[in-house]
Amino acid sequence: MKFRIGIDVGGTFTDLFLWAEDGTVGSFKVLSTPEDPSLGVLDGMRVMAEARGMAVVDFARATALIVHGTTVTTNAVLTRGGARTALLTTEGVRDALEMRRGIRERQYDNRFQNVVPLVPRHLRRPVAGRLDFRGEEITPLDLDSVRRAIEDVRKDGVTSVAVCFMHSYANPAHERAATELVRAALPDVFTSVSSDVLPVIRFYDRVSTTVLSAYVGPVLRSYLQNLTARLAGAGFTGVLLIMQSNGGLAVPEITERTPASTLLSGPAGGPRAAAVFAKEQGRDDCILVDMGGTSFDASLVRRGAATLRHDGEIDRLRIALPMLDIVTIGAGGGSIGWIDEGGLLRVGPASAGAKPGPACYGRGGERPTCTDADLVLGYLDPEYFAGGRLRLDVSAARRAIEQHVARPLSLALHEAAAGMYRVINANMANGVREITVKRGLDPREFPLIVAGGAGPLHACMIASELGIPMVIVPAAASTLCATGMLLSDLQHDFVRSVVGPLAEIDARRLREVVAEMTSDGERQLAAEGAREVEHQLALDLRYLKQYHEVTLPIARELLTRGDWDGVAKAFHAEHDRLYGYQLAAEGTGLELINVRVRCVGRTRRPELPRLQRGGRDASRVKKGMRSAFVPETGAFADVPVYDGHRLLAGNVIPGPALLERTDTTIFLSGAYLGEVDEAGSVVLSAQEVQA
Amino acid sequence: MTKPRADKVLASILGNAFKAITDEMSRTMEMTTRSPILCEAKDFVTGLYDADGRMLEQTENLPILSFSLSPVCKHIADRFRGDVHPGDVFFHNDVFSLGNQNNDVAAFKPIFCGDTLVGWAAAKGHMADIGGAVRGGYNPNATEVWQEALRIPAVKVYERGKLRKDVWDLIFANIRLPIVQEDMRAEIGACTVGERRFLALIDKYGFDVILDLEKQLFEASRKMMEAEIARIPQGEYCGESTVYYDGKNAGSTYKIRVRVKVAGRRITFDYSRTDPQTNGFVNGTYTSSASATVLTFLQMVNPDIPHNDGMLQPIEIVIPEGTILNAAYPAATTFGNHLCPPNADAIIRALAPVVPERVSAGWNQLLCSLSTGVNPHRKDTYVDILFMGLKGGSGAMDSIDGYDHIGMIDASGGVLDQDYEMFEQQTPHTLIKHELLTDSAGAGQWRGGLGVETTAGSACGRSTSSAAKARRS
Repeated sequence: MKFRIGIDVGGTFTDLFLWAEDGTVGSFKVLSTPEDPSLGVLDGMRVMAEARGMAVVDFARATALIVHGTTVTTNAVLTRGGARTALLTTEGVRDALEMRRGIRERQYDNRFQNVVPLVPRHLRRPVAGRLDFRGEEITPLDLDSVRRAIEDVRKDGVTSVAVCFMHSYANPAHERAATELVRAALPDVFTSVSSDVLPVIRFYDRVSTTVLSAYVGPVLRSYLQNLTARLAGAGFTGVLLIMQSNGGLAVPEITERTPASTLLSGPAGGPRAAAVFAKEQGRDDCILVDMGGTSFDASLVRRGAATLRHDGEIDRLRIALPMLDIVTIGAGGGSIGWIDEGGLLRVGPASAGAKPGPACYGRGGERPTCTDADLVLGYLDPEYFAGGRLRLDVSAARRAIEQHVARPLSLALHEAAAGMYRVINANMANGVREITVKRGLDPREFPLIVAGGAGPLHACMIASELGIPMVIVPAAASTLCATGMLLSDLQHDFVRSVVGPLAEIDARRLREVVAEMTSDGERQLAAEGAREVEHQLALDLRYLKQYHEVTLPIARELLTRGDWDGVAKAFHAEHDRLYGYQLAAEGTGLELINVRVRCVGRTRRPELPRLQRGGRDASRVKKGMRSAFVPETGAFADVPVYDGHRLLAGNVIPGPALLERTDTTIFLSGAYLGEVDEAGSVVLSAQEVQA
Repeated sequence: MTKPRADKVLASILGNAFKAITDEMSRTMEMTTRSPILCEAKDFVTGLYDADGRMLEQTENLPILSFSLSPVCKHIADRFRGDVHPGDVFFHNDVFSLGNQNNDVAAFKPIFCGDTLVGWAAAKGHMADIGGAVRGGYNPNATEVWQEALRIPAVKVYERGKLRKDVWDLIFANIRLPIVQEDMRAEIGACTVGERRFLALIDKYGFDVILDLEKQLFEASRKMMEAEIARIPQGEYCGESTVYYDGKNAGSTYKIRVRVKVAGRRITFDYSRTDPQTNGFVNGTYTSSASATVLTFLQMVNPDIPHNDGMLQPIEIVIPEGTILNAAYPAATTFGNHLCPPNADAIIRALAPVVPERVSAGWNQLLCSLSTGVNPHRKDTYVDILFMGLKGGSGAMDSIDGYDHIGMIDASGGVLDQDYEMFEQQTPHTLIKHELLTDSAGAGQWRGGLGVETTAGSACGRSTSSAAKARRS
């Protein structure tokens, strides 16, 4: 028996999705271990081995593939817990990183402040030496000034160095020479070089992306070393792949070269899985929401694929690498309820996380969390949380809510808990508005795919708030991102500048550049064991004297034939589609700037199990009744509880109801009707409200 | 799916959809224009308007340009009433029919659903040249508009989808640089993008629903602005500031005087006691001065009020003709946008005593540096404004330091530095230094934002520009 595992390490929980060769699957959750996340991963391996009735070492040996998404780099940036980083940069422009081209994102808000740069000014060291925009040397690199800078930052105890010089995309010689000195003098220090990370014009984009890479590089490297060692120690000899922000996979050594490409590693697997479960309902577009312990993520799937952006940011810091378009807010099971200065009830963004955790975990948490409210409202069974592995302390949850919310607001306990439930649902609905309404899209046109352990308890109310008529809770909802990781492909994006009027471009030279990138990609993919390899080619083109390009995907044959007229025709049409006009009639020539190659290595996607068909009636799996809060009536009522593991395709369950699984509980409010599909998803449809 | 009702949720979706459209129009300008003033610094605005020219939403990269689009749109809708057709495109820059600055040339495109005029899309940007006596348009010796620029009163360059080649040629025969034609084509493209997206919304929701929702959006923004005004103590407050040097008479100064009247849910800015206009080009136009007033006041209220006509309804602005903020025909006015900082100072001084927690200290004054010549790398004529040198710090607020390097207040952090590498590729300049200038902020418990030091060399020798300073709180 061979296994494949998807692992998504979040702030509170480490999610694991196990696929076995015999077609069986399983979702598992263990608490994360923020001080060393690899410990949580190992813990997860133990839990899965136990579930299969195997010794850990046998289980690890039988595991052929682990796909891993991690938030270590994201957290390093958000908490400013990355490496102590220095920047070697061209004399005269050392503040570009901090000035961010002089933007204030909220133009009329005089209380809005700039972000703290990842490298403070005294560690941004100018060095002499200058190229012009053609890459020709104006002033030679002053090696002594490089040495002095290295000596200064060594004394400052930096563990990472970013190198970014003006016009290095046109000529990397100065950057390489300086980097050699850095590596020779500081062999243990991580280095990130702009002409490797992002060899394209635009200084600010490049310096910001390079510094982000340097800042999180040592964190990622030591984490991956740790993880690899622990997995090897446990007996794992298979392939380890890392989820990248662009939704593609890569081996650890490659992600270490551009660590900034992992900044959205954790959530990047979700859309792939969401697309699969939406497709089951005949839908190509959907909204994915993922409510974990600490944070709530919302993203969009359009035409079956994740929505990516190339002008991304993290914490208002530019990353000019392709990455998932996502909105994150601080709302999760661990979000703490509190009263603000104006006397209003708030929930989050602060989270009790895994330690001390919600009050009901009985691990020292005293503040009331969303999970405590869910328990008091009757949505969770204290004896059956995490399949009974964690017994919840109801009286501790009551005490926390009573003391910190009910009493200050002069509310009854249950009113206070219901208030927390409503507030956090409204916050999450706002997160969904951000990714849809703010982009001019109507959320009511999309099914809502629900992920995360806490998600299925809150999904109905988020959907009601937004008027979304269809909610899909996949069988593996609690570990959806981990599931998506197993369904993703290997992917590497390459870009090289080839500048000149298109008509004068030597087709043979262009084919050579493409061939170089393609063979780089093939070599990487071969090392990663890809089966089927596919290349996508694109040209960044513009009209002569424009300064921004249109990325135009082109068929390989056009390049092989050197058919520039065919390329031009496609460009005119694309320019018109995007920008409302074209200049074919004016005879304006085109200019080529960059060539892009995306190499995709198809992985063998596991077949997910299908559910056996049954009738509409689900009463045979009804476990009993429980008193739970029904939002539509604002009162408690006896609500039927179903065994979520024994449902069959075609079963229909009217709300209000609770569907319990070991890893999550679905709350079906009175306004929704649930039906089980063959992929095992519970599909909730809004019922006509009787006036 | 059946067509949804015009409910509150849909109103919010539509308001955000308008914003997404003007943002996409702005992106079109950024991605397709040639002049670095536009594609790098974003010295342009885009907007959507209803059939009568009322603002539905805007993307205001440079706010000083922004609040003149709706007045001009109303002017065109009125002047061409009955003669506006599908496929028409208008150009306009004329400062004596509500334009804000000669170089800021706008394109307006009417949007039709069948035969019904349903709205307008507009884009306006600072053109690299606009004819007149000097390349680039800033002529300190000008005393009349014709020495500054080609006047373009509202004129159709496309009629029913057909280019009026004679009109087009007449305009561009009077403008030096061929890239201006290209950049005006980009403006038309941005308007077409706005038109396509607006029509898609009509297709989805129906025009009647949209019309109803537009009213709700105006109403909501008006109420939000009224609530903000109601939080200012009722009364009349005066403020004054000084404009130094009119470009002609050494040592000359002029006073801007504003009387701010807060009565009920309305606010009035009355400039009747402001000094008379100059005989040079340091003169405001009505819409550039009114834009300065609006953008300064917007910084004192809830920053999340959606920008549409409703937001402006409770605000009245009185600027008599013949003052330095509203020069009478045919005065020279190219420097008028740059009277924004002293105008803002006068308003801040008027309101500081009553709403001290809402005002900032003054921002940097303008250090405008326009360069032009023949670029030996590209063998063509270029015009560029050194945006990175003119951006100073914002003024401090109660309990908050100023923001480094985002001023002048005219732009409020919306206009960007040229990317350094693009700057060197696009102009004959080499950037020698562009860094925050130590101790350039006004000191105090809460300091102002830092200015910058900018030094650039040029293929024709070396030149040095600005060190902009903000003041203390």
